Amino acid sequence: MLRVRAYLFYALAVCLLGIEAEARANDQYEIVTNPGVREKALTVNSLRSIFSMHLKTWPDGTKIRVFVLSDDDQLHQSVSKEKLNVFPYQLRSTWDRLVFSGTGQAPIKVNSSEEMLDKVASTPGAIGYLWRANINENVNVLEIK
Amino acid sequence: MKMLTCSRLSSLFVGTTRRITRRWVLLFLAGCFSAHAQEPNQTLKQSESGKPPVSLKISELPAQATESDSAKKKTGLVDTALNWFRRTDLPADLQIHGFASQAYITTSDNDVFGNSDKGGSFGFTEAGLNASVRPLPRLLLSAQVLSRRAGEGNTGMPRLDFGFLDYRIYSHEVNQFGIRVGRLKNPFGFYNETRDVAFTRPSIMLPQSIYFDRTRNLGLSSDSVQLYSDAAIFNLGTFSTQFGVTLPIVSDKDTENSLLAGLQKGQLNREVSYIGRGIFETNDKRLRLGVSGIWLNTAYDPNSRLNDQIGPGGLQFTPIFFSAQYNAERWTLTSEYALRHFKYDKNFGASPVNGLDFYGESYYFQGEYRFTPKWEGILRYDVLYTDRADRDGSDFVKRTNGVGVAHSRFAKDITVGLRWNVTPQFMLRAEYHHVNGTGWLSTLDNVRGSTHQHWDLFAIQGSYRF
Repeated sequence: MLRVRAYLFYALAVCLLGIEAEARANDQYEIVTNPGVREKALTVNSLRSIFSMHLKTWPDGTKIRVFVLSDDDQLHQSVSKEKLNVFPYQLRSTWDRLVFSGTGQAPIKVNSSEEMLDKVASTPGAIGYLWRANINENVNVLEIK
Repeated sequence: MKMLTCSRLSSLFVGTTRRITRRWVLLFLAGCFSAHAQEPNQTLKQSESGKPPVSLKISELPAQATESDSAKKKTGLVDTALNWFRRTDLPADLQIHGFASQAYITTSDNDVFGNSDKGGSFGFTEAGLNASVRPLPRLLLSAQVLSRRAGEGNTGMPRLDFGFLDYRIYSHEVNQFGIRVGRLKNPFGFYNETRDVAFTRPSIMLPQSIYFDRTRNLGLSSDSVQLYSDAAIFNLGTFSTQFGVTLPIVSDKDTENSLLAGLQKGQLNREVSYIGRGIFETNDKRLRLGVSGIWLNTAYDPNSRLNDQIGPGGLQFTPIFFSAQYNAERWTLTSEYALRHFKYDKNFGASPVNGLDFYGESYYFQGEYRFTPKWEGILRYDVLYTDRADRDGSDFVKRTNGVGVAHSRFAKDITVGLRWNVTPQFMLRAEYHHVNGTGWLSTLDNVRGSTHQHWDLFAIQGSYRF
């Protein structure tokens, strides 16, 4: 009996550790917007719609401008899989379908975290993502519900 | 009014095509050189800036297939130009994209896109250039010029592939509703709208049973007014629909040849047609299910001065397509099925198509596997029956008194292929087809009676995009 309880305890501990590890990976980066964007929180579905380039305007009617790192970038892959719950190759094929059928535009590619910070801070309506260490007061952190 | 705008647009494009082609050639050459002209210092600097800050431990992140950063950050002329585009604040969010692909095709028998059975051919070239602007938050204008060189049916003459305006009438979170007016890509199946862009295709040649290259101009784009919407289905996914009223493009030789059993003296007229598609996609984009349908009307206009034997008949082509796809991290399974209804009325006079009413059937199963982000493999089985009531073509031979060829009424194609994504912009691939039947071969490229039932096709392709 005691042995069973010990096993259960152990299993629970492993689960909790797993959750904690997951939370820590998620904590390393944030979705950021230009300070002029009024939204402070977004649903996951809206966020996915924005990064899929389907949702093109903020609720106040202004343009959304999406900034991304390259497909094989570590941060892009984490955001794609953990925050948006899609594989990076699926985002790429969604964008390609829009661009080459003319029914949408591609996100704007930046080459580094520095450029991401710079662009999101200076472009009206901009949204992107950054490592926590790179975030400063020039951008807003968006809460994802 | 709409037509007028379109024809003006296309004449404008034809006028500038020569310049565009010249620029393209320059750009392409520059792209070739850029691979050699990179400076090692710059590469190093770029790769450093591309990495996450040092404070972060990579080991804490989920395991990823990481490739060496330096290999893919090439700084050539094209990249410099692209960076300029990106850095310069272009007015109204102007974006410019393009692609160029060249294939080499060799066949054991029968011709595909040129003289492929006589030692192979470089006869398959695709290039496109598109631009889009957003002058208003809800308004998008986009246009693409496409050049395609493939056999007798496509000479490489650039044409307006699409050119339209898109106005978003309603937008709230995932739910969208809007209207598009102009020349639009026909939305059917998973691949039709981007079928000329090698990067968006699973293989060099799309499954021909569904994406006929023979009647491609008919299926590819049309002048239309289209309504579209995205709607959230509970918390499961999104249902996207498109519905269009169109004037199909029926004026090219290949289409006429296929629909009227040979080149005729008169011409096919455009009549109002309809197209619609619905695709359900789960939130994680793993499962995609689609159904699309076309209601195409056209009529033959005989040439009375040339003593045309064929009457002014009408033709209805109403195919329906079912599509399904499952995407996992490493593999993707895709299957599509089409039932194609052809109905010719009884006014075609002496033509063999007079009064014909039959169903064609097509389907394929396809598996793609991503060994690494750079290497992908594909396996596919693709089947076409021109008339599902006559799968081996024997009735066709009887009906045409032995003139018709039985194996021209079906095709079963087994394909294996390999794709190498050399850089995000450049891709190479190779594929092998073993085909039983000649159902989808172009009758412009192949002389009737000279075709072989069992044949093989091998193709390699290089493609660049930006």
